[in-house]
Amino acid sequence: MTEIALATASAVALAAVLAALGLARARQHALRRAAAAEASAARHAAQLAEQEHRFAGRQAALTRAEERAAAAERTSRELTEELGHLAAERVPAAALALVHPDLAPPGPLHRDRLGAEAGRAMEAVLTACTTAVLDERARVDAAARASMRGATAKVQTLLHQAQNLLTRLQHEHDDPRLLELDFRNELALRRIQATAVLCEAWPGLARTDSPLVETLLGAQSRVPGYGRVKIANHLREQRLAVAARAAEPLVITFAELLANATAYSHPETEIPVTVQQGGQGAVVVIDDAGIGIDTDQLDRARRLLDGPSGVLLTELGNPPQTGFAVIGKLARQYGFACHVEPSPYGGVRAIVRVPDHLLTLVDTEHDLSVLTPEPVRPAPVRRTPDPGDGPEDAPATAPAEPARASGPGAEAPPEAPSADPSAPLPTRRRRSPRPAVASGQVGTGAEGTVPAARTPEQAAARWAALQEGTADGRSAAGTGAEATEDTGAAPGAAPIRHSHEGDDER
Amino acid sequence: MKPPPGRRLVPAYLVTGGRAAPADRRAAGYDRLAILTRSDSTPSDRFGQEHHRLWRLLRPGPLTLVECAAHLRLPVSAAVFLAADLVESGHLHIRPPVPPAQRIDRTLVERLLVGLRALH
Repeated sequence: MTEIALATASAVALAAVLAALGLARARQHALRRAAAAEASAARHAAQLAEQEHRFAGRQAALTRAEERAAAAERTSRELTEELGHLAAERVPAAALALVHPDLAPPGPLHRDRLGAEAGRAMEAVLTACTTAVLDERARVDAAARASMRGATAKVQTLLHQAQNLLTRLQHEHDDPRLLELDFRNELALRRIQATAVLCEAWPGLARTDSPLVETLLGAQSRVPGYGRVKIANHLREQRLAVAARAAEPLVITFAELLANATAYSHPETEIPVTVQQGGQGAVVVIDDAGIGIDTDQLDRARRLLDGPSGVLLTELGNPPQTGFAVIGKLARQYGFACHVEPSPYGGVRAIVRVPDHLLTLVDTEHDLSVLTPEPVRPAPVRRTPDPGDGPEDAPATAPAEPARASGPGAEAPPEAPSADPSAPLPTRRRRSPRPAVASGQVGTGAEGTVPAARTPEQAAARWAALQEGTADGRSAAGTGAEATEDTGAAPGAAPIRHSHEGDDER
Repeated sequence: MKPPPGRRLVPAYLVTGGRAAPADRRAAGYDRLAILTRSDSTPSDRFGQEHHRLWRLLRPGPLTLVECAAHLRLPVSAAVFLAADLVESGHLHIRPPVPPAQRIDRTLVERLLVGLRALH
């Protein structure tokens, strides 16, 4: 029984202990729970604060996002406007500026707000547009040139045939209207040829080496009003010629310049043309007393003449102004140079320089044209001593004859005072042909050393002395020392004679 | 006259100086065989080289128009312009060609003979 009691007591005790333990545990639990609740409350508060903070941040972010969205919308609107401006204004203006380089194409609408990237993109669009326009223009122009080239080649051939026929007819029939018709044909040919050259056709004529003056005459014959062109020939070497390959191009060049000169000056004025031989080639200067040229046209002309590249058909204007473009093309192709400037005559002066490598000399068999102007420079030929005798002796010195032919009358008066300083005024005296008879009697032996005469009187006196001396010598059967003395004096006088001549000519 | 091969450079019409007709109004009647003779006066510088060359060409003596043209290598129609200029200014004389000798009209002689016989 005790055991049972003991067991019960122990059980109770155990229960009590257990209960006590349980209680303690419960208190501990309660404490723990309270602590946990406290902690969770604190956490909650912190979370709340954090959430509030986050919310505020989000609010700000939202505002910023809204602002950004507004800005983006504005940028987008501006960009759209800019694109519209690009399409409506800037691209057409850029295309137009290709034709009229003076026009400044407009820039973007909002240059400061347009981003660098967008700006670059738009510039790229413009560049692409202009490139496309230029390519297309070149293609169209090339096509136009090709078709023109075909047409001009055909017409040119026909006109050449007409010209050959006309030349033959001129030799068979004496109607001056054939000459007129030939001229008309030549005018048409010049136009066609210029167009052909612009269309990159070959000038179309193989020539032999041609005297420079004849190329000028050929050019002269191709322009209306050619009668007004006066060529002054200052060449040292009359047989100076243009090499075969450059002959026709130079004729075309001169013809275009002369056509400008005659077309833009009064029909009563002359067109002085000077051809001279420089140190490194020949120079042809064409002047006109016309209406001149304004600065823009002068710039255009110089650009066409000196410019690095060719010219498009579309750049020639309406009506097309082909002259300078043709010259520029030929000059680049063949290596001569052309320059235009305002002329002291009031109009335009055109200067063509033909370099040495395009020049040559023609054979003496080549007969110069009957129209070739005589050289203006006095040729170094001996002048015949007697005025009455002059023209008759001239065949040997034919090129210099015209200057001589007008010489006797014109030069005698200025010479008289030098011979007789006491005379107050130069007086014209009739010369009798007596000295000519005297020179004829003396014979040919002394003629080479004779050009010593300053005046007919002096010449007569000299010849008389010579004759007397010779007669004396013969009659005395002497050694003829006097005669040799006289002829010896003559060469000494010759240089003086020549220097006088030089002064008179200048 | 055969023109030179290739295209000529200096055309003949250049000597006309752009005139449609020669200066001398009678020039239209110049015959190819008309004879040109030089006078003594020298042409002035007013004339071109082609005139002087024609004038010099006639120094040795008269020539027909067609010969002058051939020497100057011009067609006759162009040489007429030069000749007419110099004729008008008195530096050249021109006269019609010498007519070829003609056979005497036989009927006229016979009639003359008949008339003479009738006088007896």
